[in-house]
Amino acid sequence: MTTATLSPQAQAKQTLAWNMKLISHNELAGFGGIGEGINMQVAKDGRRILWLAHESAPKNFTAVDVTDPKNPQVIVQTDLPHEGVRSNSLDVVGDVMAVAYQTKKTGDKPAGMDLFDISTPEKPKLVSHFDASGPHSRGAHCVWFVDGEYAHLTSGSADFEPTHPNDFQFYRIIDVRNPSKPVEAGRWWYPGTHKGDSAPPPPRHPRFDGGYRPHNVNVYPERPDRAYVAYLDGGALILDISDKSKPKMITNWRYSPPFNGFCHTVMPLLGRDLLIVTDECTKDDGIDWPKLGWVVNASVETNLVPVSTLPLPPPENFTKRGGRYGAHNLHENLPGPASFRSNTMVVGTFFNGGVRAFDTSNPYQPQEIAYFVPGAPELSPKGAIQINDVWVDEKGLVYAVDRFAGGLYIIEMTP
Amino acid sequence: MLDALSGKFPVSVVTGFLGSGKTTLINRLLKRPDMNRVAVIVNELGEQAIDNDLIETSSEQMMLLNNGCLCCVLRGDLQETLRDLFVKRRNGVVIDFNRVIIETTGLADPAPVMQTLMTDDMLQAHYRLDCVVTLVDAVNGLGQLETMQEPVKQAALADRIVITKSDLASNEKINKLESRLRELNPQAPVKRALNGEIELAFLIDVGLRDTRAKLADIERWLGVGTHEGADGHVHRHDQSIRSFSLRFDQPFTWETFSQCVEVLTSMRGPDLLRVKGLVNLEGRPGPVVVQGVQHLFHPPVELAGWPSADRATRIVFITRGIERRTVEQLFGAVIALSGQRDAQKASRSG
Repeated sequence: MTTATLSPQAQAKQTLAWNMKLISHNELAGFGGIGEGINMQVAKDGRRILWLAHESAPKNFTAVDVTDPKNPQVIVQTDLPHEGVRSNSLDVVGDVMAVAYQTKKTGDKPAGMDLFDISTPEKPKLVSHFDASGPHSRGAHCVWFVDGEYAHLTSGSADFEPTHPNDFQFYRIIDVRNPSKPVEAGRWWYPGTHKGDSAPPPPRHPRFDGGYRPHNVNVYPERPDRAYVAYLDGGALILDISDKSKPKMITNWRYSPPFNGFCHTVMPLLGRDLLIVTDECTKDDGIDWPKLGWVVNASVETNLVPVSTLPLPPPENFTKRGGRYGAHNLHENLPGPASFRSNTMVVGTFFNGGVRAFDTSNPYQPQEIAYFVPGAPELSPKGAIQINDVWVDEKGLVYAVDRFAGGLYIIEMTP
Repeated sequence: MLDALSGKFPVSVVTGFLGSGKTTLINRLLKRPDMNRVAVIVNELGEQAIDNDLIETSSEQMMLLNNGCLCCVLRGDLQETLRDLFVKRRNGVVIDFNRVIIETTGLADPAPVMQTLMTDDMLQAHYRLDCVVTLVDAVNGLGQLETMQEPVKQAALADRIVITKSDLASNEKINKLESRLRELNPQAPVKRALNGEIELAFLIDVGLRDTRAKLADIERWLGVGTHEGADGHVHRHDQSIRSFSLRFDQPFTWETFSQCVEVLTSMRGPDLLRVKGLVNLEGRPGPVVVQGVQHLFHPPVELAGWPSADRATRIVFITRGIERRTVEQLFGAVIALSGQRDAQKASRSG
């Protein structure tokens, strides 16, 4: 007898698609584990180069020529100096690329940010290194760099001692107007997380102490005075950065507990007074479910109100397939010549839930409009796909990456 | 935003009187390599039902066929089964099917099946009717059409008609049957199958797949009869089924068009077997696709643009006893009334 219900393993092997179609797949020369940095350079010769930061050593970053998206070609792949560091995040403005470096252990190096000249994409040239190492620092986890002038880092520093070992990163604004000499322009940390603060240390999450660290900081040219910050267990924040030397908190939406922490991204839907806030699922097998994408009414900045969540398939099936299942990264509507921008359509990654697109025209009832869940990659250590990050180009092509083995999936939204 | 049609799963309804060979045809289709991600919904799993060599016996409601397709036995209502299929597909617990085939029972009226796809919000968001395929047995078909209502309605509602068992009947008999079928439903192309073999392209992708449909797609969907005769009228004998197409050169307002449809369905809904067409709406860049089965209409879908210079509204009607003239007069009256209303509005505001 052949039952129609597939086993969890068979489910993980199956590719699921709705309104999305795979047009090519590249395993990135056998190093198919990608972190949270994707951006596209339109090179001077017209080529479209996708830059990808690896999730962990040994590789640093990979550039893929996607001018013909049906036939992506790896044109450069670089190595990290040692196993104790990872790049994880990068951003590109013109021919300049910023790469964040985070170490496994505090005190280790290189920790901080590199700036590269990528005018010849095959030969990235190091312009400068911004050192963020220190006795309590693990360097930088994420970089946001969209205007060519300031890099927004979530990073530690030599002079920052946290009140709790999990709180080793804070928000740093780095002036890179002179790319060969980046300097800090301002910083902000969650009150109570820095030794010597007058505020008491914030309460730890009772079940999952993810820490009080900023994960992503999003700053858009349309709102240069605002930083949208996801602060892990501290929730979502909006900072006033009109004076970059003195960021000020405007609002903080804290929702964990009762939820399970690890606020990952706060992305404004510009012009609509809405935020999309994503958590990061950090545990396998559904242990930290629910990890959601939230639609938040931000019409009164000082009173953020969640109004819905992005609809996901039920965890019962996906949490049994292997690895993580839940929210993570978004296509963040980056500025840039080749980036897709929408204040209604949201595209996000959900680990073994693949890449999924939503229409938020009605913020109270967002609709799922497309998804693509690749079958488990050949060498997946989790036995299932773990789509980690996504970037969408101005033509609507979706570039999704696996965290461990699958590499790059280029997907067309149909039609 | 995504296309209003392209994300919907195509649904083929295979109908035909008892013994017309529906199961044989479906089995043949499923053996094709490009039909390996199909969900088939059948009414029963008896000896005559979907092939014994394809299915291993099971007491479950859903089974995996040997070719990888999914087979569901309809236990409750079709609405529930289709909803359940969509949810299970999204959850990834069944195969990632890309097409649904529904096999109706021999005595079934296909209209309610078609209506289910049009009226249930969730179903019409995720599925689209691709094709109603009606099978007619070459040996017994003619007699069945003379003596029974079900086969007549099955043929009248069809997008495609397949004459089965054509090796068992004389050419003369088949020709007679064919001309009777063309009378009943001149829009639906008719082909003969031998041992259930028929070219796949004849049966699939008949409905509009996306809103950028080309002229050929639209003609394929509307059917061959739309060009017959200068006035679109097909000569009829004494049988009750009527088939005709109407053209309107002036664009409609949505209000006027929907009023025409409302009046027609409220007066003669049960006899309005099938309506499909393109409507030119004032101020809209593309035509609006309308389709109805008896008193129920699918929510209108606007195409991205007109496929040719011809921007006339064209609507195909298959009716039971409603004459072309009646529909024409009714549309004419509603259009005249709305014209008067518009004129009154204009004079009041002026």
